[in-house]
Amino acid sequence: MTTRSILNDLTDKEIISPQQADTIDTFEHEKTFSIHWELRSILYLGILFFSSGAGILIYENIDTIGHQAIIAVIACITAYCYYYTYKNSLPFSPDQVENPNKLVDYVLLLGCSTFLGLEGYLQFQYNIFGSRYGLAVIIPTIIFFVCAYRFDHRGALSMAITGLASWLGLTIAPLSVLSDNDFSDAKLIIPAIALGSLLTAAGWISEEQHFKKHFAFMYMLMGGNLACIAAQIGLFSFEPKILYFFIGIGLCWFFILRARQAQSLLFLLMGTVYGYCILTYVIFTNLGADAALGLGIFYFLFSSVGVIYFLLNFKKFLGIKPEIRK
Amino acid sequence: MKKAYNQTWIDNLHIQQQAAEWKSKNLLTPAQEEQVKEHFPEKFYRPGLFVKIGLFCFAVVACSFFIGFLSLFWVDTHSDTGFSVLSLIACGCFIFVLEFLIRDRKLFHSGVDNALLYAAVAAAMVPMFMLFNHAPLWAYCLAALAIIIPATLRYADLLGPIAIFGLVFTLLTDLMMKFALGKALLPFAIMVLSVCIYILVRKSRDIYYRECRQILEVLSLVTFYLGGNYLVVREANAIISGLNVSIAPQIAFAPLFYFFTLAIPVAYIVSGLKKPDRMLLIVGLLAFAFSIHTYFHYFSILTVSQGLTLAGALMIAGAVALIKYLHTPKHGISDEQDRKNNLADLQALIAAEKLGVTPHQPGLEFGGGTFGGGGAGEVY
Repeated sequence: MTTRSILNDLTDKEIISPQQADTIDTFEHEKTFSIHWELRSILYLGILFFSSGAGILIYENIDTIGHQAIIAVIACITAYCYYYTYKNSLPFSPDQVENPNKLVDYVLLLGCSTFLGLEGYLQFQYNIFGSRYGLAVIIPTIIFFVCAYRFDHRGALSMAITGLASWLGLTIAPLSVLSDNDFSDAKLIIPAIALGSLLTAAGWISEEQHFKKHFAFMYMLMGGNLACIAAQIGLFSFEPKILYFFIGIGLCWFFILRARQAQSLLFLLMGTVYGYCILTYVIFTNLGADAALGLGIFYFLFSSVGVIYFLLNFKKFLGIKPEIRK
Repeated sequence: MKKAYNQTWIDNLHIQQQAAEWKSKNLLTPAQEEQVKEHFPEKFYRPGLFVKIGLFCFAVVACSFFIGFLSLFWVDTHSDTGFSVLSLIACGCFIFVLEFLIRDRKLFHSGVDNALLYAAVAAAMVPMFMLFNHAPLWAYCLAALAIIIPATLRYADLLGPIAIFGLVFTLLTDLMMKFALGKALLPFAIMVLSVCIYILVRKSRDIYYRECRQILEVLSLVTFYLGGNYLVVREANAIISGLNVSIAPQIAFAPLFYFFTLAIPVAYIVSGLKKPDRMLLIVGLLAFAFSIHTYFHYFSILTVSQGLTLAGALMIAGAVALIKYLHTPKHGISDEQDRKNNLADLQALIAAEKLGVTPHQPGLEFGGGTFGGGGAGEVY
C-alpha cells in the first residue's frame, strides 16, 4: 500500500478530485525530511552530558581552579541563560505558549540546572545558608515555579515540584519514589500524602480553571503517584489503617473518575492498579491466612478477569462518549 | 498462515491515519477526512497506551492464576508428562479465548490479546523443555522457532520478530562455535545474516506486518553494526577464547574492523538522510556514539568527566549550528516541527530525575548516564 494507491482509493470513492490527488502526490514527493526531534534530542543530551561532566570536572579540580573563578563562571552562565530566556520569551499567557524560537526551552533548562549547581556550590564552600537547609531548597523551588509559569516550561515545573518535595524531605521523581524515600518512618507518610494530594488538587484546579492546563498532567502524575504510594505504605505498615484505606481509595476513585475527561488514561491505570492493590490487601488481611490461601486462586483469577472487563468497558461504565479517544 | 486480525480494517486504519496527516497539512478539508472515515471504517478496540498496559498486566495475572486453577483439578502435576499435558490444555484454552476475544471484542494489540498470545506460546513451549531435557541448544532454538514463526505470521505481534531474530542469531552462533574456523568467521557470518534479513524484510510490503518489519529492520541494522564493531569483536573474541585477561588481545583483520566501526555509522547516517529513512538515521546516530565510545575505550586520552564535558559541548555546538543552518530547508532536509511533541512530558520527567538534585549534596550528585549510550535515544 503506497501513497499513490491510497490516493487512487480516495479518488475512486470520489472523496477527492484527481487534481487534489495530484497536489497531494507532488507534496509527498517534494516534502522535506525533518530532523527536528533528532536535533533536539542531541541538544538535550548534550546539555545533560555537559552539565554532568562539568560538575564532576569542577569537583575533581577544585584545588587548582580556585573557588571564585568557578563561581564566577557558573554565575555568568546562569545569568546569561536567564537573560537569553527573558529576552526571547513571549508575553505571559495562561494557555500553552508556542515559542517560535526553538532554543529558549533548552537554555532555560540549562540555566535552571546551573543555578542549582551554583547554589549548591555556595552552600558547600561558604556555607551561606548555614544549617537552614529549608531555605536553601525553597529558594530554587520558588524561582523554578516562577520560571515555569512565566516562560511556560514543563521541565522547570517538574524541577520546582521536585524541590518542593525535597523541602519536606521527600523524593518525588516517579522512578525513585519507592527507592529513595524512607517510608519506614511514619512521620514522612502524612506529609507525603498531604503534598501529593495538594499537587493533585493543584493539577485539578489548573485544569478546571483553564490556567496552564497542560501543567495539570505533571502535577497529577507526580503528586498522585506520591500520595497513592504513601497511602498504601501507610495502610500496610501503620495505624490507623482505616484512615489510610479511605485516603487511598478516595484518591483512586478520583483518578478513575477523571478518565471521564479523557485527558489521560494514565490516571485510569493508576487508579485501577492502586485501588486493586489496596482492596486486595484489605480483603486478605481481614480474611486471615487460612481462608486467603484457599480462596487466593479463585480471587485472583476472577478479580483480574473482572478488572479486564472493567477496562475493556470503562467508557460504558463511566459514561464516556465513544468519540473521545486518545 | 491465515491472519487473525481483520485485514481490511488494518488497511482502512492506515488510510485514516494517512488522511489525518494530510488534514493536518491542510491538504484535505475536515469534511473530506470525515468522508474518508465513513468510506474506510474500522471497528477495532484500541485503547490508549496506559489502558493497554493495565489490560496486559491484569491479563498476565489472570493467565497465571488460570493455570493454578486448572491444576486444582489435575491430580498428576508432579510428573513431567502430567505437567506437559496440563500446559498443553492451558495453551488450548488461551488460544481459544484469544481467538474469541479478537472476533467478539474486536481487540487489536490491546494488551489482553498480547498477554494471551504470550501465555499460549509459553505454555506450548513448556512440554518441549519438560520432555527433552538434554537436547542441544540448536534443537531448542529450532523447536521454539517452529512455534513462534507461525504465531507471528498469524498475529503479527511485536515481540514475535524480536524473539525470532534472537533465536536465529543464537542458532547461527551455536552452530558456528562448533568449528575453529567458524569462531574466526563469526563476525562476518553475523554481518552477512543481518544483510540477508534486512534485504528479505525490505521486500515485504504487507501493511499487516509493517511494525514487525520495522523492528526487524532496526535489529538487523544494529547487529550488522555490532558484528563489525571493533570493541564488540575484540572483547567477544577474548571471551570466546576463554582468555581471562584484563585487556583483550588484538584481533585478526583489525584494520578491517576499524574501517567498519567508522564507516558503518557514517554510511547509515548519510543514506538515512538521503533516502530519507528515519530509522536508518537514528540507528546511525546511536552507532556513531558507540563508535566514539569504542575509540576512547582503547585510546583513552581523556578522563570520563573530560570526555562527558567535551562530548556535551560538541553535541550542543553541533546541534545549535545545524538548527541555525537548517533555518531554511536545505538539500531536502528541514528543521520543521512537523510532528507534535509527544515527549514534552517525558522530557520534563527526565529533567526531574536527572537534574532535580537537592542543593545540600553538591558536586557528586551529578553524573547521569555513561558516555557511550548516547545519541538520539528519545526520539521514538
